Amino acid sequence: MKPFFSTLRARQLNGYVCQTCTRQLRRKPQRRSYASTSSRTPEIFDVVCVGGGPAGLSLLAALRANPITSTLKIALIESQSLTPTRTFSPSPDSFSNRCSSLTPSSVRFLSDIGAWKFVRGERVQGYGQMRVWDGVSGAAVHFDAFGGAEKEKRDEGGVVAYMNENVNLTAALLRRVEELGGVEILDGERVEDITLGREAEEGDLSQWPVVKLSGGRELAARLLVGADGANSPVRGFAGIESTGWDYGRVGLVATLCMEGEGEAEGRVKTAYQRFLPTGPVACLPLPGKFSTLVWSTTPELAAKLKSLSPRDFVGMVNAAFRLGVVDLKYLHTLEGGQEEEAAWREDHVGFDGSKIPQRVVGVQDGSIASFPLKLRHADTYIGERVALVGDAAHTTHPLAGQGLNAGQGDVESLARTIEYAVAHGMDIGVRMSLEQYMAERYVKNHVLLGVVDKLHKLYSVESGPLVGLRSLGLGAVDALEPVKAFFMRQAAGTGKIL
Amino acid sequence: MALFLRQSPLRTRLPAELLTACTICLNSRSFGVLNRPPPNYEGHVPLTRVERAGLAVGSAVMSWLNPRRGDLIAALGEATATPYFIYRLRDAMLASPTGRRILHDRPRISSKTLSMDYLRGLPANTVGRAYADWLDREGVSPDTRNSVKYIDDEECAYVMQRYRECHDFYHALTGLPVMVEGEVALKAFEFANTLLPMTGLSMFAVTRLKPAERQRFFTIYLPWAISNGLRSKDVINVYWEEQLERDVEELRNELCIEKPVDLRDIRKKDRARRKAEKEAKERSSDSLGIN
Repeated sequence: MKPFFSTLRARQLNGYVCQTCTRQLRRKPQRRSYASTSSRTPEIFDVVCVGGGPAGLSLLAALRANPITSTLKIALIESQSLTPTRTFSPSPDSFSNRCSSLTPSSVRFLSDIGAWKFVRGERVQGYGQMRVWDGVSGAAVHFDAFGGAEKEKRDEGGVVAYMNENVNLTAALLRRVEELGGVEILDGERVEDITLGREAEEGDLSQWPVVKLSGGRELAARLLVGADGANSPVRGFAGIESTGWDYGRVGLVATLCMEGEGEAEGRVKTAYQRFLPTGPVACLPLPGKFSTLVWSTTPELAAKLKSLSPRDFVGMVNAAFRLGVVDLKYLHTLEGGQEEEAAWREDHVGFDGSKIPQRVVGVQDGSIASFPLKLRHADTYIGERVALVGDAAHTTHPLAGQGLNAGQGDVESLARTIEYAVAHGMDIGVRMSLEQYMAERYVKNHVLLGVVDKLHKLYSVESGPLVGLRSLGLGAVDALEPVKAFFMRQAAGTGKIL
Repeated sequence: MALFLRQSPLRTRLPAELLTACTICLNSRSFGVLNRPPPNYEGHVPLTRVERAGLAVGSAVMSWLNPRRGDLIAALGEATATPYFIYRLRDAMLASPTGRRILHDRPRISSKTLSMDYLRGLPANTVGRAYADWLDREGVSPDTRNSVKYIDDEECAYVMQRYRECHDFYHALTGLPVMVEGEVALKAFEFANTLLPMTGLSMFAVTRLKPAERQRFFTIYLPWAISNGLRSKDVINVYWEEQLERDVEELRNELCIEKPVDLRDIRKKDRARRKAEKEAKERSSDSLGIN
């Protein structure tokens, strides 16, 4: 009776008393009882991060770069090989179709952890203006980082955000992580199973997640970080529900070649987004004559667009920023010849060439792809010895370009939370240590997801009084500089709310 | 002086937002009578909002007083077509492949583009022949249509022109005559089909009809117009020039339009009935007198 009692007590103490002490407490009674049940013992890590995407890698870089957390024993598990990322050597006249906007606040964080210097600057394009308009009514709003109320922005070179290929960012983060060293990188290894450990000679791992890899290794984690994307196995292990809905839309991406560089009067470039009833279509500047397209549309229309010849696809993209909703609907029904049909309509549709993207002249071969759009928000970001970051915690519609930035915000907060726990001698894995991360991020992300979701729904409406109201609202935002400045600060990640 | 005004302290102290708001208000008053902008197409007369409203009211009243003033009805149609209605009609055309082809080719209907001799020579059951017969029966010509002047958008102006020129084809298709009673019935049909406000406003002409005609309109023609106008396909999207040799019944079926009772027949029968009644009355009074 007595040994059992003492084991129980030791287990309860586990969260509050340092590991070595609980091990001491338990040593005597366990020696006898577990002598025969020895399978292989897992390797013990402080932080095991599943997922080598931007969120996972930047968390590792942040932890390693900080002298307080650099003593932690860290492992990274990535199911795909990181070799292509490691050997990222792009040609200057082709760009990946998967690009994200990085807000100045994300760039500041990446600079702080020493990763931004490895990002290939010549492949990053800052933009200082945003033009957003309603495809049904034509109501428009123009954000300009040089605008009156945004004086502080001028110090940052008048940039709202930076467009960057995701692979450029992950390559830089990986270089930084490898420069700092001390991270066991297990790439090309799938997570076979995540279970709770068991009590063993070395200590009680019964509350610890143990990750079994396809290579046969087993890793026990004091803190298991799920940076493993929308279908997160870590979230599944932790039993955290993720609620939300599918938008019934896909994001069609492509790398576009424009007729010019798009730098009017030597100023920074402009990002364009037009809200169509099927979803927003955005043209975001990349260096040189390149731009990246993000066209949210229905799966059927996306399939149709993908089946078009490059010439007609280009015609459709040009039409998407110029022609009316009725014309676009009709163009989608054609088997071919969109370019000629669109050219005829352009003569009869009034548009201001200075307020829309330059003409697209080509699309990079094989760059057209699509992915389904979903809204998901995990019920919580933390569990006992589990934390979720990035897409594992939340996925959003790309219309605000905030998905990756929200992930960077998570990482910054989680790294700070871990640093606090380490500095104060707390166990970094227990829920109490992680609570700060949850408190800092959950509501912020929830507001972001909600706003983006409402925007999507508001602009899905094709006709009726709502179109008039939203146009009036957009006009008001455009006319009122302080309101505009507020939205600019939110978009740039320097605002107080998001 | 202007420079001085621009930099006056009052102006610099005004919040930028207020100025922007004022500019928006000022921008909506785009031009005055003395600085009319250049026309957007040949024959275009740009109007201010006040002028447009005046034209609408004036032409509505005058054409109610005299329903034969086709020019005033046309002006009413143009003055009330914007905002929204003419754009809706254009979008209806853009949504249909044939409608798009019409907008692309921009065909015009006149005695120059349609040879009357050719139409009269077509078989009796064709659309072209029905059109020619109708023109001959009513004694009108396709050249009596005014050009559109008051619609600002050049493409919408064409849509209005097309509607106007096709109006006679609608007459031919439905067989409704040009007299006020027939016009009102056809306008009701057009209103249900095209939603142009002028066609709806034209229904006020029903107040000018005789009680018997009015009763006929409300019991026979209005129900027919509403049900057919809503049910049928957009008649604006018919490429009439290509349909001339088609069977008129077939086209009616395709568009889901049923031919209403022939108005001229009804009127003739009604007249005959009244005459017979009158004669009978006279006869009976005569016989009474003898006895």
